[in-house]
Formats: sequence, structure tokens, C-alpha cells
Amino acid sequence: MSEMKTNTASAMTMEELKEFKGRSMAQETWRRLLKNKGAIVGMIFMILLVVIACAGDIIYDYETDVIGFSADLSQGPSLKHPFGTDQMGRDVFARVIYGARYSLIIGVGSVALGLVVGLILGSLAGFYGGFMDQLVMRANDILYAIPNIMLAVVIVQLIGTSVFSLVVALSISSATSFAKITRASVMTIQGQEYIESAYAMGLPTWKIILRHVIPNCLSPIIVQVTLAIGSNIISASSLSFLGVGVPTPMPEWGTMLSDARQYIRSAPWMCIFPGLAIMFTVLALNLLGDGLRDALDPKLKR
Amino acid sequence: MSEKTNEKKFTGENILEIKDLVVHYETDDGCVQAVNGLSFSIGRERTLGLVGETGAGKTTTALSILNLVPSPPGVIKSGSIVLDGEDVLQMSEKELEQMRGNDVAMIFQDPMTALNPVITVGEQIAESIMLHEHVSQKEAMERAKEMLKLVGIAESRAYEYPHQFSGGMKQRVVIAIALTCQPNLLIADEPTTALDVTIQAQVLDLMQDLIRRNHMSMLLITHDLGVVAEVCNDVAVMYAGRIVEIGSTDEVFNATAHPYTEGLFGSLPNLKDQGEELEPIRGMMPDPMHLPEGCAFAPRCPYATEACSASVPYLRPMGGTHFVACHAYDRENFRLRRNQNG
Repeated sequence: MSEMKTNTASAMTMEELKEFKGRSMAQETWRRLLKNKGAIVGMIFMILLVVIACAGDIIYDYETDVIGFSADLSQGPSLKHPFGTDQMGRDVFARVIYGARYSLIIGVGSVALGLVVGLILGSLAGFYGGFMDQLVMRANDILYAIPNIMLAVVIVQLIGTSVFSLVVALSISSATSFAKITRASVMTIQGQEYIESAYAMGLPTWKIILRHVIPNCLSPIIVQVTLAIGSNIISASSLSFLGVGVPTPMPEWGTMLSDARQYIRSAPWMCIFPGLAIMFTVLALNLLGDGLRDALDPKLKR
Repeated sequence: MSEKTNEKKFTGENILEIKDLVVHYETDDGCVQAVNGLSFSIGRERTLGLVGETGAGKTTTALSILNLVPSPPGVIKSGSIVLDGEDVLQMSEKELEQMRGNDVAMIFQDPMTALNPVITVGEQIAESIMLHEHVSQKEAMERAKEMLKLVGIAESRAYEYPHQFSGGMKQRVVIAIALTCQPNLLIADEPTTALDVTIQAQVLDLMQDLIRRNHMSMLLITHDLGVVAEVCNDVAVMYAGRIVEIGSTDEVFNATAHPYTEGLFGSLPNLKDQGEELEPIRGMMPDPMHLPEGCAFAPRCPYATEACSASVPYLRPMGGTHFVACHAYDRENFRLRRNQNG
């Protein structure tokens, strides 16, 4: 009996071994990510949000439902208007859905721009060290010393209120953190023997950076990307709330909150739903980011 | 492959000649004198063992041959490193990239970190082939699989990642990478230190076999005298950045001439005299920032006299290919204790 048990046990491990073989790092990470319930919830929410944001046009017409007027002023949630309507009779659900576009575009756009800038500056600083490092990192420190929101307010005031200027303003603060993370991981990777070995093989420096250094510092950067999208969505909404972000008729979540302030007693749904939208989106991104961090951490490999 | 080896055989006597090499690391805290006037050469199809304590400058010497001393802080102050008739220190960056991996390959100490964790093993071998022989990716991959087979790893594992290999297998992969372009000289920096004893023997056998088959020369850096006895034709003993004794393995092992070499043998357990106490070398390696005047070993040397601290001893011939840098031989009839009673 016990013999049979051990037999099946060893057969299982053999099978598991076979399954384990020939799996790439990406596949391995994906498998571990799927084991994390929080990450799955976050991922599903984000996929839904993207799909709904893209499909908004099919259900609602931008001109009439989102920035137009209707007779249904300040109505509570109902079947016709699941999130109620605002003071101008616009459907809050439609506006939240369209607002997702702004938040996603600003969040992803600013992180993408910041990532490119931060990645380049961070790798240069980490790889070459010395003067280059000092230059990039001291500039970084200066930007770090100014509160993000204040910096963004100034930039938006300088180049005018638009989605683009928000993206630029927020990308600066993301760039500083990406540059820091990239520099730190490039410096760690550079001390590794396989980099030395790549030099000894006769690889030119640019190929070493591209093929050996950057792929190895991607894990912390991927995690930071998901978290930064979330925090940039919050920053964008805060700026809009303060009146320096996306201007009013547009359905940005922060703008909606700001508009709904005056009606918070009479029509609380006007601010509850955009607020919840911000909260859940950021929560989903954070869950996803945490899941990714665990999945990418080689120390947690089982 | 055979064409390439034939061509190699008839150019010059030595594959590598290092003369008066001086390498310093200029740090904020002071100047680390890692290598101080080092000279040796490696003959074609011969294996030289470079022996010495940690910090003696062995790895710096190896990196100098590839002109890869990390700079800053490393500075190659003077000397020449002639590889197959060309001075490595005069080469342009392009020539260096061409030379590295193609003419000289290096195996690093720790196989665990010498492979890139995010690239498959096959691709890492193919990378070197693609770089030096300008072949298509597919062809390079085929060659990579052949190399894997040569070092005793199944071809099918070319698509796996380093974390799926054991330590010994990783070192085999590292050897495969080093040997793919059939370099004339292989530098192995403590290739077996990180491996356990049974795997050590396997890896050494494999290296010896491949080197013989490809008519290559090897510089084997180690602190394991057992490995030297097994693998090397010649031995150079290094202390504080200088060669203190050099000769064929037979000469250095059986007619040990330098007190430091004697000390190294004295610190090894001997199978024949199992009850005997080990005799460690007293004292510590000198701080390479403040090397003592004269012979750097004098403060630890049981035979030292005042003359030892006066000047740096030169390498004097002891017969054959055997040279030793020690002032004690100025005295008539000087013999090390080890050699005194037969």
C-alpha cells in the first residue's frame, strides 16, 4: 500500500518535472500570476474597464448623452440611468464610461512617456556612472524635492490646459522614479558575472546593454509601471478636481467630482460613482502590481 | 576546424607573452598595486597554472589579457601583452572586440552567475557564434546544439533557461560558450572552485579533453595545487602581483625553490603523513596598498635576512625552465627545508 503511494508520488513529481521543463520565464511568471487571486481580480477589472471604455460609443452618443443636455435633471439611480443623472440631465454612467478613456489615456500615456525618458536616463546613469550619473541623479533629486502636484500645476499653467499637457506634466514625476529604479537595477546587473562574460565574448557595449542589461532589470520596472499608472490616474483626477486638468464639459472623473461637489447633499450619486470608479481602478492596478511583483520575484519560486 | 588549427601551429613559439605588466587600481583611498612587473609566457598547446592566494593579482592578470580591467579605477601602467604576435594593449576597441571570444575566451569562476538568467542556454552559445562568424541565427543555433552535445548535454536542452540546469551543467555550458569559436587561448579563472569535488573532476577532464582536441593553450587560474598537478604543464606561483617561481609542473612540485611555494605545499594535508600537523604560512598577505620594500614575502618568510628587504629579487634560473625570485640563493648551498632530506 505504502509502496503504491510512493510510486504515484514519484510519478507525479516526474510529470511535474516534465511540465516544468522548457518553460520560459514569461510563461513561468504568467502561471504564478494566475495563482494570485488579487491579481486575477485586478486583471479582470482592468480588462472590463478597457472593453467598456472602448465600447462606450455603441451604447451612448457623446454629443447628446455625455456633454449634451436632457430633461432628466438630477435623477437618482434607476433602470434607465443606472448611476443617475447630473444637474444638466446627463447620464452619470455614460460619463463615467467615457471618463475611463481619459483616465486610461492619461495614466498609460504619462507612464509610457515617463518610462521611455526614465529608462534612457536611468540606464545611462547606471551604466556609465561618474559624471553622467551625477548629472542625471542630481537633476532627479531636484525634481524629487518639488511636490508632484505642484510641479504638474505649474507645467499645465505654462503650456495650457489639455489632456496632452496633463500627460506631459505627470510623465515628469514618473520619469524620476523610473530613472531611479532603472539606475539601481542596472548597477546591480552590471556587477554580475554574465555581463563580464559578455564583454569577454567580444560583444559591443550597446548589444550588452540591449540584450543582457535591460531584459534583466525589467521585473522591478514592470511592477512600477502598473503602480505608476494607478497613481497617475489619481494625480490626473486631483488636478482636474483642482481645475487645472481636463476642462469641465469633458467627463474626466476628477472633473466630474469637482462639478458634483455643490450637489453632494441633494444628489450624492453624482460624486459617489466617479469616486468609486477612481477607487476601483486604482485598487485593481495596485492588486495587479502586487501580483506581478510576487510573480516576478525569483525568491518566491516554488 | 582542422584548417584553423593547422594555421595556428606555425606562427611563433608562444601564444602569449606578458612582459613587465603593471596594473594598479587607483581608488579614492589610495593606489592598490595589484600587479607589479609580471612576466610570463605560455607555449602553444601548453597549459600554465597560475597559483596564488586570494588577492595575489591572478584575476587582474587574466582580465588584462583581454584588456578588460575595469576602468576606472583600474589602470594598466606599463608592460606589454603580446598575443599571437599582437600587443593587446595597443589594440583599438574594434580589434579588441574581434579578439575577445575569437582568439581568447574566458571561463569565469562562478557558473551560477556567469549565465544570463533570461536568455535560453542555446541562444547564449549561439550569440558568440553569430558575433564572430557572421552566420544566420538558425545555423548558429545548430552549432550551439553541437557544442552542447560536445560538453555532454542533450541537444534538446538548448531551449531551456539557466535556472533549469545544475551547477556542473552550467559550468559545462560556460565551457561550451568559451570554446564555440575555437579560441587559441582559453583563460579559466578558478573554473572548478564553485563546484563540488566529483563534478570538479568531470569538468576538468572535459576541459582537458577539449583543449587537447582543439590544440589550444590554457591559462588556468587556481589556488588548488591538486588541480595544477593534474592538468598543467607549467606552473607560475604568484605573490603580491609578482611571479615568485615559475617552471614546469615537475620542477616546481619536485624541486620547489621558493619559500612561499614551500609554504603552500606545507599547508596542504599529506596523504602519506596523516598524523602530521599542517604548517600554515605565518602572517597575512600584505596590504596591496602598502607593499613592503624589497621582497613582498620577506615579512612572512622563515629564511628572510636583511638583504630581502633591500631590493626586489629578480627571477634567477634554477636549471631548465625553472626560475625563482628569491635572495636566499645568493647564499652558497642554500636549500629549502623541504628539499634538505631528499
